[in-house]
Amino acid sequence: MITSTKPPAQEHLLRKAIFIAVAATVCITVVSVASAHDVFAQTRNPFDVGITEGGGQATGITGWILAKQIYFERMLSGAVRAIKTDRSALWTLLGLSFTYGVFHAAGPGHGKAVVASYMLANERALQRGITLSFVAAILQGLVAVALVSILALLLNVTSQRMRDVANLVEVASYAGIAALGAWLVWRKGSALLAVLRRHAPDIGPTPALAGATLGADVHIHGHDDHAHHRHAHDHDHDHHGHHDHAHGASVAAVDPHHVHDEHCGHYHAPDPSTLGANFSWGSALATVLAAGARPCSGAILVLVFALAQGLFLAGVAATFAMSLGTALTTGALAATAVFAKDIALKMSGGDSMRSLLLVRLFEFGAACLVLLLGASLFLGASVGGA
Amino acid sequence: MRFGCLGTLCRAAALSALFTTGFTAAALAHPHVFVTVKSSVVFGPDGKVTGVRQSWTFDDMYSAFATQGLGADPAKLPDELKALAKVNVEQLEEASFFTFLRINGRKQSEFSPAVDYNVTLDKDKIVTLSFTVPLKSPTAPGKAMVLQVTDPSYFVAFDFEKDKPVTLENAPGGCSLNLIQPSGLSAADQQRLKDVMNTNDSPGQDFGFKLASRAIIACP
Repeated sequence: MITSTKPPAQEHLLRKAIFIAVAATVCITVVSVASAHDVFAQTRNPFDVGITEGGGQATGITGWILAKQIYFERMLSGAVRAIKTDRSALWTLLGLSFTYGVFHAAGPGHGKAVVASYMLANERALQRGITLSFVAAILQGLVAVALVSILALLLNVTSQRMRDVANLVEVASYAGIAALGAWLVWRKGSALLAVLRRHAPDIGPTPALAGATLGADVHIHGHDDHAHHRHAHDHDHDHHGHHDHAHGASVAAVDPHHVHDEHCGHYHAPDPSTLGANFSWGSALATVLAAGARPCSGAILVLVFALAQGLFLAGVAATFAMSLGTALTTGALAATAVFAKDIALKMSGGDSMRSLLLVRLFEFGAACLVLLLGASLFLGASVGGA
Repeated sequence: MRFGCLGTLCRAAALSALFTTGFTAAALAHPHVFVTVKSSVVFGPDGKVTGVRQSWTFDDMYSAFATQGLGADPAKLPDELKALAKVNVEQLEEASFFTFLRINGRKQSEFSPAVDYNVTLDKDKIVTLSFTVPLKSPTAPGKAMVLQVTDPSYFVAFDFEKDKPVTLENAPGGCSLNLIQPSGLSAADQQRLKDVMNTNDSPGQDFGFKLASRAIIACP
């Protein structure tokens, strides 16, 4: 029941400052959290297979997982060997590989980060996010198979040459992530700015925002008079705690798709059946490429080992079983991204203007993450690999 | 009401920070290469430690990777293995050979380039890489010299061999060698891990140490 006594213009400025501060905080948090966990430290390991892998400390629970994985990898190579004498061991290998994919993907990896950030930045349909995760994981398997088929099976090059090529693929995929991130930052940044500008009374119609809100594509028609409405009803809104109440309630009751925010900006939420009309194949493809172009070390190792045992096809089968396992974990993360955004929106109390701002902030933060991740991985790998 | 709005934004920021932490802090160790270690601490005539001789045997998967494309012409294999050893020790130098020495509490990991390096294959084509890393400044081990072989990034999991993993070469009389090896986790520790798995707590600082191996050498 607090009523605002500040002049509206001052309030706008204050809000704008808060929004920008929050956006900056999210970005800074991302950088500091990531750097604290050495995500960006990418020195080449003398025994890597051309792909840099993040690691963890052997303290606490990770040390225990480490001990388990020693056992686990022995089982994987043992299963490949067993196929020589017993063909039914293939099922054991596939089961192990699938599990390996599930748990291995639970570790740090930019693929997950890219898909999750994409989901945060775009808020597409959940099903599509899961599909993207699967396609990215299958692509990851395909790249590993192609790499080993061409280099080891056909050309029979040495491990050092394989490392060089795998490293090139990796650096290229990092560049792809950075490019995707830059594009997302530009798009989501302008969307965020557009929302922020709606607070300034001297700005004209806001262009339709890219992306979607609450899973639906939303078109916002800016109105020159929105600021005036806001001023007139400000007191009323605060009193009732319903920011869209005074002006929009009657309209919203008649047409649930047509709601007004406190600024009288008109949201035109389309019928759910038209959902996806705004779906960009380009950005989906870019995400799949960015998340899946870099093969996983485990797959390369299994493939080369299977080849050495004269069981290359078993290695290929194992690789795709791993991909399915990875897809499961990445898909779950994509779902979490959507739910996290949903929860944040629910916490905003159903106020459409706040919700929109939250969505834009989330999206911008996620876009920042993709750019930072790509840029630092690219720089780290090209420096570390040199 | 203004405060309500601010609070929402704070919560949103907190939530996004939390989420970001979620997928960056989930930095689980995931080694891809497993090495069984045999080390030998080499002493000079003056009783000072001059270097460490390493013999690392790799797991079957990495062995297959490392020897990929080698031996197409069996006559060339020895040269190819020598070249492989050379590349390995050169790259290992940047990682300070994953060899960590502490003499009387002071870090002593300044090494000269590796010497006497070679790669051997057993009948199953399992790779063993051997090399000696000379200390830049030979030092007497004194009351406590600690040797650890580990990859801090845990891409490679190093483990001391079960039988006589560390030996002393030309050590003066009276030197002792103690090995603190991971003894595996007790039933109580396993239960503690299961408990913290559900609560997401840390199982405690001492857990990592329980799984790390070190050799402690003491000389009079």
